[in-house]
Amino acid sequence: MGFLSRTYLTIYNWTVFIGWAQVLYLAVKTLIESGHEHVYDAVEKPLQLAQSAAFLEILHGLIGLVRSPITATLPQIGSRLYVTWGILYSFPEVRTHILVSSLVISWGITEVIRYSFFGTKEAFGSAPSFLLWLRYSAFLLLYPTGISSEVGLIYIAMPYMKVSEKYCIRMPNKWNSSFDYFSAAIATLGLYIPGSPFLYSYMLSQRKKALSKTKRE
Amino acid sequence: MKVTVTTRSGRELIKGQVELNDSATVVDLQEAIHKRTKKYYPSRQRLTLPIKPGSKEKPTVLQSKKSLKDYTDGNIDQLTVVFKDLGPQVSYPILFFWEYLGPLLIYPIFYFFPVYQYLGFKGERVIHPVQTYALYYWCFHYFKRIMETFFVHRFSHATSPVSNVFRNCAYYWSFGAYIAYYVNHPLYTPVTDLQMKIGFGIGILCQVSNLYCHIILRNLRGDGSGGYQIPRGFLFNIVTCANYTTEIYQWLGFNIATQTVAGYVFLIVAAFIMTNWALAKHRRLKRLFDGKEGRSKYPRRWVILPPFL
Repeated sequence: MGFLSRTYLTIYNWTVFIGWAQVLYLAVKTLIESGHEHVYDAVEKPLQLAQSAAFLEILHGLIGLVRSPITATLPQIGSRLYVTWGILYSFPEVRTHILVSSLVISWGITEVIRYSFFGTKEAFGSAPSFLLWLRYSAFLLLYPTGISSEVGLIYIAMPYMKVSEKYCIRMPNKWNSSFDYFSAAIATLGLYIPGSPFLYSYMLSQRKKALSKTKRE
Repeated sequence: MKVTVTTRSGRELIKGQVELNDSATVVDLQEAIHKRTKKYYPSRQRLTLPIKPGSKEKPTVLQSKKSLKDYTDGNIDQLTVVFKDLGPQVSYPILFFWEYLGPLLIYPIFYFFPVYQYLGFKGERVIHPVQTYALYYWCFHYFKRIMETFFVHRFSHATSPVSNVFRNCAYYWSFGAYIAYYVNHPLYTPVTDLQMKIGFGIGILCQVSNLYCHIILRNLRGDGSGGYQIPRGFLFNIVTCANYTTEIYQWLGFNIATQTVAGYVFLIVAAFIMTNWALAKHRRLKRLFDGKEGRSKYPRRWVILPPFL
């Protein structure tokens, strides 16, 4: 792969790594010092920045810069952006919930491992085996905790969606169209039912492939 | 001649070989295979000539009308074919009938029955003229499609995998309900009378053109064959897939008249799907009619939507 792409990807991965390291540090520090109600306010800006950078990853997949299939990255990035912007940012009432802490810490640990793994791989051609093991094992615990936190927060935000009518389009209107954010949230929760086992088993098969390859080497 | 039938992994599908007349056709071979393997009726079989391992070439598919002799290269008493199971098949007319029946029946449900009462919209419902015309237009469209399926179209393949029934019906039936919901809604806002007339006018003109395109295409396969010819006449002189072009513009007409986001979403998705088909068809025709060895050369034409593609 071109020198330019490798350099770009190295810089990209380490930059986003620093973002997530910041999120994780601030989350744990605030949780211990001030309590779970304040975690969101402490991490808001670095979280929004680091999570939104994931947009670029869809682009990377589309133009073939990275090998990950878009069917695996799109749902994951989609749900992350939805929870970050469509739930936490849009409905401040849920920010003080303890699930925000479990969410941000699950995401933080997963992403810190993932970005340092890819950052090392791009920079040096390969990653140390402990990092490989972490990248393909941490998800075993962190996917369930992360996904449960996402689902929980969506659910908790729903009464506020109904009352505020935020992002809703009602008829009558010139374009004869309507949109109900509350119903869309129900539909999204529905997507988690097939989506979560799909992503989890995708990671399991990736784990098998990655860890058996090193055994053989 | 003796024919060896293997699977793609090299295993012999039929123990021993199939014994056939030297003048046997591919159809005869398929029937013989069906006799020996009850599950694999002819439309489920895809037979190809073996390719050298590692070769990047696409395998030659045996065509039903041809005789087996055409595929043996000199040694007329021996032939090896590779078998692939295409899965349970459904005939194209049946598939199309079920796809189109959904929209034909679902749309009127939203017009005639008090559906919206159950969705929380109480009170009287005033029906605008455009909603009635849209009902007629929509139902005529899908009725036309069903009629064309049985009386006009000549299909290049006899069957399609059964899984396509679920996929295609989901597509047509869901979009049918989605559009019907908004056009027949009690809070529907009509466009101006002029816009409605322009929309339906374009739509009707394009539906008639579309029917004419289908008739031209049918006559290309006058002998009942599933082969490919260069389409000529009417809009085909300037665009390869004039049938898709007229279909897209027909939906555009419907949307200009009814103005719903749902309708335009459907238009975009349908145009996208048809464009993919059109590109494949255009490419195939250019490849088949390359101007060499006495074949005609495919003329320069738009693919589907002049002046864009």
